[in-house]
Amino acid sequence: MPATRRTALLGMFGAMATLSLPRGARARSQPDLLRYGLSAWPPNLRPWVSTGASAGTVKMLLHRRLTRFNAQGELEGELAAEWRLDEDRAWVFRLRPEARFANGEPVTSRDVAWTIEQVAGERSTAYYAAQMRRIARVETPDAHTVRLVMREPLVTVPLWFANYNMPIGWHGSPDVNDPVAAGPYRIARQERGTFLELEAVPNYWMPGIPRTPRIRMVVYADENLRLAALQSGDMDMVEYVPWAGMAAVEADPRLVLDQQNGPFMDLLFNGTRPPFNNPLVRRACAHAIRREDIIRVAFSGRGTPINGVPIEPSTPFYDPRLAQGLAYDPDRARALLREAGYPNGFDTVLLATSQFGMHKDTAEVAQQFLAAVGVRAELRLVDWSTRVQLGTRGQYEIAVHGVSADFNDPDGLTVVYDTSLSPTHGRSFGVQAPRTVDALARGRAEFDLSRRVEIYREFQRAAIEEVPVAALAWRAQGYGFDRRVTGFRNLPGALSTSSGQMLEFITIAA
Amino acid sequence: MFYVARRVAVSLLLLWVIATVVFLSLHLVPGDPAELLLSTGGAAPDPALVEELREQLGLNRPLWDQYASFLQGLARLDLGRSLVDDVPVIDEIATRLPRTLELILAGTLLAVAIGIPAGSHAARSPGGSFDRVAGWIAALLQAVPVFVLGTLLVLLFAQTLRVMPAGGYVAFAQDPARHLLLLALPAVAIAKGMAATVFRMTRASVLDQLSRDHVRTARAKGLAPRLVQRRHVLRNALIPVTTVLGLQIGSLLGGTVLVEYVFNWPGLSTPLLRAVEGRDYPVVVGIVLTVSALFLLINLVMDLLYALLDPRIARS
Repeated sequence: MPATRRTALLGMFGAMATLSLPRGARARSQPDLLRYGLSAWPPNLRPWVSTGASAGTVKMLLHRRLTRFNAQGELEGELAAEWRLDEDRAWVFRLRPEARFANGEPVTSRDVAWTIEQVAGERSTAYYAAQMRRIARVETPDAHTVRLVMREPLVTVPLWFANYNMPIGWHGSPDVNDPVAAGPYRIARQERGTFLELEAVPNYWMPGIPRTPRIRMVVYADENLRLAALQSGDMDMVEYVPWAGMAAVEADPRLVLDQQNGPFMDLLFNGTRPPFNNPLVRRACAHAIRREDIIRVAFSGRGTPINGVPIEPSTPFYDPRLAQGLAYDPDRARALLREAGYPNGFDTVLLATSQFGMHKDTAEVAQQFLAAVGVRAELRLVDWSTRVQLGTRGQYEIAVHGVSADFNDPDGLTVVYDTSLSPTHGRSFGVQAPRTVDALARGRAEFDLSRRVEIYREFQRAAIEEVPVAALAWRAQGYGFDRRVTGFRNLPGALSTSSGQMLEFITIAA
Repeated sequence: MFYVARRVAVSLLLLWVIATVVFLSLHLVPGDPAELLLSTGGAAPDPALVEELREQLGLNRPLWDQYASFLQGLARLDLGRSLVDDVPVIDEIATRLPRTLELILAGTLLAVAIGIPAGSHAARSPGGSFDRVAGWIAALLQAVPVFVLGTLLVLLFAQTLRVMPAGGYVAFAQDPARHLLLLALPAVAIAKGMAATVFRMTRASVLDQLSRDHVRTARAKGLAPRLVQRRHVLRNALIPVTTVLGLQIGSLLGGTVLVEYVFNWPGLSTPLLRAVEGRDYPVVVGIVLTVSALFLLINLVMDLLYALLDPRIARS
C-alpha cells in the first residue's frame, strides 16, 4: 500500500486514539477497595505452617492472635486483653470477652488450648511446634483465662503468640488445616497463583475494624512489574519495593515509601572440618568484608552495615561498642589467619543461590573482599532448592544467606546463632559456639530486664569471639503506596515482615 | 489406516518417554519439596517437621514405587495433586491453558496482520525504501530479546505515559474492555519475533511467486494487478508461510514463559516456573506433559494432513 495522505491521517488518528486511552484504560482507585501488590502467592494458608511473609500478611487479616505488635513495635493484646507471669512462673492470659469467631462463637480459653494442642501435636508441621511443646500444661480455669505452665521458665512466651503462624482457631472447626477464624476479613474470591480478594466480616467484633471493606491482592512475582503497577496506578500499595526502585518512589509526589531495616544478610560456616572449624578463621572472614560495599551493590545503598551481632538498635540490648566488634579490618583479618596457621590464606568454595539477586550480589562482593586477605573462594551459585538441600546436609564450606529474626528481642536470633540446634540451611553447620549458645539459653530464662541486658552483652561478646555466623548487613524492606492511602506503618526491625497486619487500619481518600 | 495407527502409536510412545524423563530428572536433581515448603521466607525448619511432611506427601517411598503410582494415575488421566496446596493438577491446567492459548492466538493474529501485508508490499518493490526499512525493523525485532521489549513496553506505556496497565489479568466475562487492554502489550511482545519471521517468509515467497510463469501469463492476459497479486501470487505464497506459522505456534506453547512472567499474565508458564523452583513434581510433570501432548498432537495432525495432500508420504 503506497504511503498516501489517507494512510498518514489514519496513522495520526490511531496515535491520538492510543494517547486518549489513559483515563479510561487505567483501573481507578476506589475508597472501598485497597488494591495490594503481593510479592508471592501464599503456597497455602494453613494457619500454623510457615509459608512466608506474603502468606503471613493474608493470615493476619483472616485470623487473630493472642498478642500483636503495634505501629511502634511494642507488644499489645489482640485476643488477649492482658497477660502476666504468676508466682509459679506460668503465663496467664486473660481473653477479651467480646471476641468472636466468624461463626459467631465466642473466643474462649478452650480455643486457645485446642490451638496449642494442634500446633504441638506429635505429627504437627507447625512453625511453632517446638515452642508449644515447651508448654508442660495448659489450664483453663474459666472461659476467658488461660494459664500456660512451662517446662522451664521462659520470658519470650507472649512474643510467640504475636507471630503470624500462631493464630487462634475455633475448637469445633471441622478442618484443622482451615479452622474457623476470628479475623476482620474473609476470603471472597481467589484464583490460585493470581489474586485473592478479601471482604470485611460483617458486624466485626472490633469496633471500626477493618477500615477498608475490600482488599484485592494481586500477585506480582516480578519486583519491577510490582513497582510498575504502583507507578502506573494499577495498585494502591505494594510490598517489598525493589531497592533499585526506592528512589523513584520517593521522588514521585503521588507516592510514599515506608522502609525499615528488617531482614539481614549473613555468612554461614561449615564447622565440621578445617579451616572453618577454627573460630579465628571465622573471625578473620568477618573482619575481611566491608559491609558498605554489599549494601551499595546488592541493595542500591538501602541498608545498614552489621559490624557485630544484629541486635536491633532501638532495644536496650544494643551496645554501640560491641556493635563494632567484627568491623571491617583487613589487617586484623590477615593477622587472625596467620594466628590460625594460614599465613598464605587458603582456597575454598562459597555457596550461594543465583535465584535471588541479593544473595548472588552479596556473595560476589564477599568473594572479592575475602580474596583480598588471602581467602580465595570459588563461587558456587545454585538454584534455591539445591541451596537449601546443600545447606541442610552441610555440603558446603561457607555460604551466603538472608534471614529475619522472629522478633526484635535478642532471643529472636536463636534461630541463627544457636548452632546446637538441628541442622538447617539457615544456620551454620556443625559450628561449636558453646558460650554463645549458653548465653542465649540464660537470656530467655531471665525475667529481670537489667540482668537480661547484661546476659545479652555476654552473648554478643561470645558471638564476636566464636563467630557462629558473620552478620553482614541489614537490608531495607520497603512498602510503597499512594498518598491517598493512610493508616499504614512499616513495623520496625525484624517485625517489618509482620507489617501486613496494618492493612486493616488503612483508609483510602476519595 | 496403518499409517494413522503407526503415527498415533509413535506419539503415545513419545509421550511416555517424555513423562518418564521428566519424572526421573525431577527426582534426581537436588532439592527436597518438603524442606522447601517449610523453608519459605528464609525460615529454618525443624528436620523432624521436614521428615513428617515427607511422609505425609509420600516422598519417602522408593522411587520405583512413586513412578508406578505416577504411571497408574497417568493411565487414568489423573495427573495427581500439587504437593504445595493439594489442588488437582488437572484443574490448574484447565484454568491456565486457555489463557496461554489466547495469548498465542492474539500474538499470532497480530503477527499475521502485520507480517503478511508488510511482506507482500515489500516484495512488490524489492530493494525499495519500504523494503529496506521494513527489513531493518524485522532484523531489529528478531535481535531484541522478548523480555527486553516487554520491559520497555511496560516502562513506556505503563510507567512513563501511564496509558496502559503494567500487567495482570481480568477475565473477559468480568470486564471485556480491561481484558483486551491487559492482553494488548503481551500480545505485542509475543508477536514481535513471529511478525518478523512472517514478514521475511512472505516477502521471499511472494518474490518467488512473482517470477512464476502463471503470474506472467495472468498479467499477459490483462488481469488487474491487484487481482493477480491477491489471487495468483499471495494465495500460493501463503502455503509456506502457513507451515512456518504452525511451527512457530508449536514452539510458543512452551515459549511464552518470559512474556507471561514480564506481564504477570497467569497462563501455564508461571505455575510451571514456580513448580520447578519449589520441586512440585506433579505440577511440573502435568504441565510438561500437557504441552508435549499438544505439540505432538499438532505434529500428528500436520503429518496426517501432509499424507492426505500427498498420498506418496503414507505409502512410503
